[in-house]
Amino acid sequence: VKVSFTLNGAPVAADVAAGALLVDVVRGLGMTGTKEACGVGVCGACTVLVGDLPVSSCLYVAACAEGAEVWTVEGLAREEPALIRAFVEQEGMQCGICTPGQVVAAAALARENPAATDEEIRDFQAGNLCRCTGYQTIAAAVRAYLASR
Amino acid sequence: MSRSDGWAKAAGDARYVADLALPGMLHVALTRSAVPHGRIAGIDTTGARAVEGVTGVFTAADVTSASYGRSVRDVPILARDKVRFTGERVAAVVATSRRAAEEAAALVDVEYEELPAVLSADEALAPSAPAVHDQPWAYPGAAAQPDGPRNVQSVAAHGSRTAAEEALGRAEYIVDRTYSTVSGHQGYLEPQACVASVDRGQIRVWTTNKSPYRLRSQLAECLGLDPASIVVEPVPLGGDFGGKGSPMDVPLCAELARLTGHPVKLVLRYAEDLTATNPRHPARIRVRAGCDRHGKLLGIAVRAVLNGGAYAGFKPLPNVNLHGVLDCLTAYHVPAAFTESVIAYTNTVPRGHMRSPGAPQAAFAVESALDELAQASGLDPAGLRRRNLAGSTGGGSHGTGPGSDGSGPGSDGTGPGSDGSGPDGTGQDGTGQAGDRGEQTLEAALREAAASRPAVPRGWLHGSGIAVYARAAPALPVTSVRLAPAADGRIRAEVPIPETGTGSHTVVANRLAAELGISADRVEVAQVSTAGLPFDPGVGASRVTLGMSEAISRAARAWRSRAGDEPVVAEGGADGPGEADGPVISYCAQVAQVAVDPGTGQVRVLEILSAVDVGQVVNPLAHQMQIDGGAVMGYGFGCLEDLAEDGGQVWAASMSEFKIPSMKDVPALRTVLVTGGRGLTEANVKPVGELSNVPAAAAIANAVAAATGCRIRDLPVTAEKVYWSLPGPGGLEASGQEQHR
Repeated sequence: VKVSFTLNGAPVAADVAAGALLVDVVRGLGMTGTKEACGVGVCGACTVLVGDLPVSSCLYVAACAEGAEVWTVEGLAREEPALIRAFVEQEGMQCGICTPGQVVAAAALARENPAATDEEIRDFQAGNLCRCTGYQTIAAAVRAYLASR
Repeated sequence: MSRSDGWAKAAGDARYVADLALPGMLHVALTRSAVPHGRIAGIDTTGARAVEGVTGVFTAADVTSASYGRSVRDVPILARDKVRFTGERVAAVVATSRRAAEEAAALVDVEYEELPAVLSADEALAPSAPAVHDQPWAYPGAAAQPDGPRNVQSVAAHGSRTAAEEALGRAEYIVDRTYSTVSGHQGYLEPQACVASVDRGQIRVWTTNKSPYRLRSQLAECLGLDPASIVVEPVPLGGDFGGKGSPMDVPLCAELARLTGHPVKLVLRYAEDLTATNPRHPARIRVRAGCDRHGKLLGIAVRAVLNGGAYAGFKPLPNVNLHGVLDCLTAYHVPAAFTESVIAYTNTVPRGHMRSPGAPQAAFAVESALDELAQASGLDPAGLRRRNLAGSTGGGSHGTGPGSDGSGPGSDGTGPGSDGSGPDGTGQDGTGQAGDRGEQTLEAALREAAASRPAVPRGWLHGSGIAVYARAAPALPVTSVRLAPAADGRIRAEVPIPETGTGSHTVVANRLAAELGISADRVEVAQVSTAGLPFDPGVGASRVTLGMSEAISRAARAWRSRAGDEPVVAEGGADGPGEADGPVISYCAQVAQVAVDPGTGQVRVLEILSAVDVGQVVNPLAHQMQIDGGAVMGYGFGCLEDLAEDGGQVWAASMSEFKIPSMKDVPALRTVLVTGGRGLTEANVKPVGELSNVPAAAAIANAVAAATGCRIRDLPVTAEKVYWSLPGPGGLEASGQEQHR
């Protein structure tokens, strides 16, 4: 099927298999910042924005993105460097596989609940797993980003 | 200085193996065994070959018959004649797309004649059990003996069995308990992956492996090639935790690249990673501990029986055992200590290393048993430990550490992230005496834990539990580093180690900057291929900061005295500082606070406090993240993680079933650094990567026992287990067992 949508602000069109997943399509378009880990919508590494909503792109059928505005970490990094800076300054990462998903989720949280409390941050980011850090610096990065806006 | 790789990772620019593409590259998918043990009666590849885009379908007949391994070479590239576990590689499909390869792999029709299988270590060790391998002693590097018992991968022991039996015989108080743990996956989020190419006899690989130089040797041995014809290229790793030290699918991919004449790429689906790679060994550990009437330990005998799975080749030590089991009494002075570890071949997924291999399982058993002994002897848990922590020699029974079995810088587990430090005499305890580090660490944990107490939900039971772990620093690894002027005027430090996520490259920058008296942002750190530096054993055994610190000191000296702009190469480790003052031991004492809902058995871990024995910390934040990440992993091991094996199959085949802790799950974490420790190298560093993940599960189980009076001896500590061990409804209050310690 043919699908066209806006990826990081630029229009894209692709001819994909009917069941093609958004994660494969955006990665195929060179946006390899979006990582696939669990493949079943649990770990959050593949999180992208469709509109303002964070979705697990490993479960999202690409054809359903028809006409949508899709943002990956690369586009958010360009538009919102303060978001990346918060993760860098707070060292909200170690191995880096979960980090793009954490960043995209944080961008979604900022849109949905810019004054989120610590508890609300934990609730919101609970869908983004990290095996390395113990989460303290990731929570600090999200907190710092929200405070910077 | 913040992490050198921070921006690239957060902005999505860092390229991992799965992100790589080479011109003409083909994709690989695997057909895996559907039975735990069987003879391969036939493989029909007709359907698979008919799928559009398929270049080839390959079986054992097409690839080298040589097996591979980290030490014992018993792992076939593709199953030959027999399959030995559900999930074993049987056939490989190469196609122009991953989708086509996966579709075709599902169409490879394998006919099995099922054989009787052994699915647990106990079954496997029974005298009449079916044999997993006909001649396990015949593999290159085998630890198994021709005249040994059936299905034994490895047996190792420390201490005197006779002395321990004698001591237990005259103990005033004794406990004899058996504890068990289940299989768990390392939980790195990046699945195992490999890109391989062969060009005019030169093999190049990009893969999720933390020991590139060892991988090169292992590949050369398996494929019968000169190591110089193999280059392992630099690439960051998306987590390791001990699981990324083996050749895994690299020998297969190298063969497929040769057979097809194209570069090939294999990225495992996470379900394959969970079910068919190299998870942690499940353990059943019997602990017999005896003390005199004052609570002084007289003897302890520990016997661990571990399920090693179908192949031993995923463990690096020559004896293919786990040092964390044999060294489990390092924290204590036990006059007669005996530890033994038996690892069995079974028809289950092969087992490998996971962060401080063997230690989390053994610490759960030993630290639970000490609480039970305290109860039996009328002492409180802290009092019993205080009385028996290792004395002024700095190490306790079997404080021999990784590599004590003649392996050199052998084992691995997780990353480096060491710290280090000069004795500054300003330890929190105020004494600064190196000899009492265990006691200082325990006291610091108890004091800090008592300073504030987390809120307990109304109607829930509260308990706190302690556990202690001690680990000897590894031998300094032989490693190397190259310094050269960078194009932008900075100094470029080329290192042989991949950045697995621990911040090791940033620590290199920190150390070099300190040696040269410059700012860390004047240093560029880069991993180079195996063609670029002499040698390194890879990331693991908490050794990276130790090894690199020494190499960096030497390189910095050479750099200062060099003539012109010539690069300098320095090696470290081979003749590094000895251990004239005894082994360097690191202690970690943890206090867990739990709340238990008496109605449902639900356990909430409110807080884990970690007291960690440190020297001079090189990079405080990276160091802290090793402690935090470890404590959370220990919590996961204690309360959540279970691969749910049954009938020879891993059933927790996705992250929705194999639960690792989320941000919402994690307990409050507190840390107290017990400064003033004696470290290693000129930088005076101590390892930290494999401490806080070890005692946490025992601390939690001890806290649950303190809260409820119920002792959970098999991990994980789930609500269901606690519920069924509680007395009937209302029984707790009626029997007066509620305790608030």
